[in-house]
Amino acid sequence: MLRPESRGNEDVLKISNLNVIFHTYAGEVKALNGVELSVKKSELLGLVGESGCGKTVTSLSIVGLLPPNAEVVSGEILLNGKNLLTMTKEEMRKARLKDVAIVFQDPLTYLNPVLTVGSQITEIIATDTEMFLPKLLEHRLDEIAQVENEKGQLDTELLSEKRHLNSALETGRLDANEIKRLTRNYVLSILRSVRLPHPEKALESYPFELSGGMRQRAMIAMALIRRPKLLLADEMTTALDVTVQAQILQLMKELRNEIDASVILITHDLAVVAEVCDRVAVMYAGDVVEVADVDELFKNPLHPYTRGLLASIPRVDSTIDQQSSIGGSVPNLIYPPSGCRFNPRCPKAFEKCPQTKPELVEVSPRHLVSCFLYEE
Amino acid sequence: METNPQSEAVQYGRGADIRHALHLLKRNRIVLAGAIVSVASVMLALLSGLLVNPSSWNQQNSNVILCWNNPAIDWHITNVFNCGGTVYPLGTDLYGRGLLQMIILAIPVDLWIAFEVVASAVLIGVILGGLAAYMGGLVDEIILRVTDIFLAVPGILLAIVLLVVLGRSIPVLTAAVLITWWPFYVRLVRSQVLGEKEKPYVERLHAMGASGFRILFRHVVPNSIFPVVVQATLDIGAVILTVSALMFIGLTPDPKFPELGNLAKQGIQFLFTAPWLILFPGLTLLLISIGFNLLGDGIRDIFDPRLRR
Amino acid sequence: MRLYEYAIRRLFLMVFVLFGLSLFIFYLTRGLLPPNFAISPYITPRMDDAAKLSVARSLGVATESCPSYSAFVAQQIGCITPLWGQYAGWLKNVLTGNWGLTLLPGVSGSDTTWHVFFSRFPYTAELAIAGAILTILLGIPLGVISATHNNKLPDHISRVISLGGYSVPQFWFGAMLQIVFVLYIRFNGAGLLPGSSALATTCGICFSDPGRITSYSGLPIVDAILSLNFPFFWDSIVALILPAFTLAITSIGAITRIMRSSMMDVLRQDYILLAKSKGLKDRVVIYKHALKNALLPTVTVSGLLAAYLLGGVVIIEIVFSWPGVGNTALVAAEVLDINFLELYVLVTAVIIVLTNLVVDLIYAKLDPRIRY
Repeated sequence: MLRPESRGNEDVLKISNLNVIFHTYAGEVKALNGVELSVKKSELLGLVGESGCGKTVTSLSIVGLLPPNAEVVSGEILLNGKNLLTMTKEEMRKARLKDVAIVFQDPLTYLNPVLTVGSQITEIIATDTEMFLPKLLEHRLDEIAQVENEKGQLDTELLSEKRHLNSALETGRLDANEIKRLTRNYVLSILRSVRLPHPEKALESYPFELSGGMRQRAMIAMALIRRPKLLLADEMTTALDVTVQAQILQLMKELRNEIDASVILITHDLAVVAEVCDRVAVMYAGDVVEVADVDELFKNPLHPYTRGLLASIPRVDSTIDQQSSIGGSVPNLIYPPSGCRFNPRCPKAFEKCPQTKPELVEVSPRHLVSCFLYEE
Repeated sequence: METNPQSEAVQYGRGADIRHALHLLKRNRIVLAGAIVSVASVMLALLSGLLVNPSSWNQQNSNVILCWNNPAIDWHITNVFNCGGTVYPLGTDLYGRGLLQMIILAIPVDLWIAFEVVASAVLIGVILGGLAAYMGGLVDEIILRVTDIFLAVPGILLAIVLLVVLGRSIPVLTAAVLITWWPFYVRLVRSQVLGEKEKPYVERLHAMGASGFRILFRHVVPNSIFPVVVQATLDIGAVILTVSALMFIGLTPDPKFPELGNLAKQGIQFLFTAPWLILFPGLTLLLISIGFNLLGDGIRDIFDPRLRR
Repeated sequence: MRLYEYAIRRLFLMVFVLFGLSLFIFYLTRGLLPPNFAISPYITPRMDDAAKLSVARSLGVATESCPSYSAFVAQQIGCITPLWGQYAGWLKNVLTGNWGLTLLPGVSGSDTTWHVFFSRFPYTAELAIAGAILTILLGIPLGVISATHNNKLPDHISRVISLGGYSVPQFWFGAMLQIVFVLYIRFNGAGLLPGSSALATTCGICFSDPGRITSYSGLPIVDAILSLNFPFFWDSIVALILPAFTLAITSIGAITRIMRSSMMDVLRQDYILLAKSKGLKDRVVIYKHALKNALLPTVTVSGLLAAYLLGGVVIIEIVFSWPGVGNTALVAAEVLDINFLELYVLVTAVIIVLTNLVVDLIYAKLDPRIRY
């Protein structure tokens, strides 16, 4: 799972001190409490935590789609150096189109029921045809090149098409019908790359006519077609059957080799993380409490919460007399605990813990923890 | 180890519901205004007998017909008749009766008819709609087709036919409007009950041995009644408008009868010479209608579980 | 089930509804009135008693064994066919278009009810169609704007308009419009807009001599276009403004409310979030993704709209002295011309049922999930 060759050193995403509050009638929910997170190029980061710990809020903050009653109190979200939080609406929209894509949890509610799946994918290309045109042309030219390789030469039709497309590459212009044809072609190839069976039929189908796994692949296709630099997968497999889940994860692993994107895989399921990710970040009640490479985290969890999480996973190779669990319950974020938010449930808490929030510091190479136990 | 005091009861459950409702009510003064207006009209209706002599509608004073002497408004019309001594705040009508007094007498009439129609429609709706949804099959089909038949004709036309055939009287008018209205309630209650009866608690009650009717009328119907209440409140306004429209086009038992549409009917002939005749009764109808519409909207907004934030 | 199978099924339903309605109307008019009402449209004053009796028999109302016309009028036992038997004769007349002679005052006694009705119907149709167009053109955009600018000024204005429209008595609104635009706002020596009649020649912006048109379709405005007579067309349109707007005001209010509420519902949905996250332009999200879904409840309601508009014309025609059938219906009510009222009810019912069918087909086309 580690790919040192392709992992770059630059941060694609860097979140600093992100504080987000929700204004509700019951009070102010302090959902994110100074989140610190970074993702390097081509890295697959797993973001784990219980429901309500702020994983989805973080992802929505990155794409700028928080609900109207949310307020970003402070912080920075740098995507390749540019701060997403200070962008204009139009800049943010373009960023969503080309730079960061998000795949959601339950494709049935996230796909428009009255539009065909094909229409919901091709509209992405239509949003900025100019930008996508080179890719459309190159893709078709690659296909023609393949035919040339196989057959040794091209017939007159394909030859003239090749010449036509090459000139379009230079002029940057193509007529509308051609664009439609190329778009359809390209979309079909993307659907094939996500292993969607019968892609032509899928294009004309409505979401309710497809199975859960197929819908999820279609959503992934909608993300991939934009070639984003950052892909957010928010509980992507949670709504699927276990077998389908396995297929989708397998797909993600295969796609890693093809796409150049960094991925944040949000999940509450540690098994998924162990399966696919390079690095893991653990969140609790709006804080990032630990970040490490996957093997390191499972071998050597430092934060008491992480330890509790790992300990509560049932093991096949031992009997369980008593299920281990973390005492207490998830805190109320309207009146969160002071200092380290985990301190009321922490078996190792001491006087310093409720006083201030611990910083996320690198305790050993590439292993960060936010806990006073390690801050000496 | 310190823990923060957490008053959970206030964040979840009843506390949050009521705070939410009050917050909405405070935020929406307009709804409050509507509630006040509708309550005020009901109070006015109840007190009308004390404010104005109830039999004065049957009198006639030929000296002061169609006159206006309230200095507050100048109609810029030539030849407005003079009323002589007494001041009529809203002018007089074709029979020399003070318009303000007639309006005060007319409000309870309209409100009472509206109330009768809506209450009866709700009752019929609950019975037939509940039966249709709960029993399904042939009963459902028959009831639905019958509502289809009534929904195929505009209410006003049916009302005209009925009033022609059965004579013009208030009971017939009430029945005619009721005939137009009941199909909506049957359908509304039916769709509500259909949704409700799928819920697990119904199956549990059944397993415990409760009879169909008991489940229907003591459990399912009360739980699905909320949209019906909202619709009924909104419909009070709509029924008043319909009744007054019917009277306005002439389907009244007596041209002097104190009813807002009937009063306005006189006004159409004198539209440009005595505009107050149509203006004030219409304005009263508008206010009452707005009041009940806002009240109905307000009830829905405050208690609708879907709008929770 | 495919679309045309659904349509066929609905057509059968339509026939059933119309049949049931005819029974109901028949009972109301023939069952609750003395039998001579059934006869009067079919006899002329010049007929003698024997002729009248034979008419009564041919209509199926009087029995063969009835001795005389006066016995029939007196409802002597054995003289009147039982109600169920009368239905067959009545239905036959309905289906063959035999509605007898008109009883309306001011119209020649030899004119048939059918002809009187259908010569005036085009004016009512114009009014109703104009009202429907206004409702859709104004109500839907207002609702959409209200939802997309939630709680800002356009929303508040739209909600006021909607509440006002929904609550206003139509007759009062029409009268107020007339007072304002005909009495108070003046132009060119006359009121800005015409007060009454379907062809305005005496208003500030009207042509005083619009000429004539040839009748192609029966609908005056359409005929004016086909006859290439612009002044006539203009005068007809101008005359239509106030009445159509008055007719539409209530339904504009209702449609705005429904559109606003369903649009707000839709904009909260998950698929709108996904659409935005794909980097689509706002315009696309609203009109392509949201609107199509939000229109569904509005389409459902449109069927009721037809019934409402066709009923409302009666009021509007009185207030604006519009020469359509609504106006005439009240005169018919005065003189107890039952046939006219029956014809009116049945024609209206056919239109409403057909409109409902079309509306349901549109809905099925819009929502791909409905293909039972």
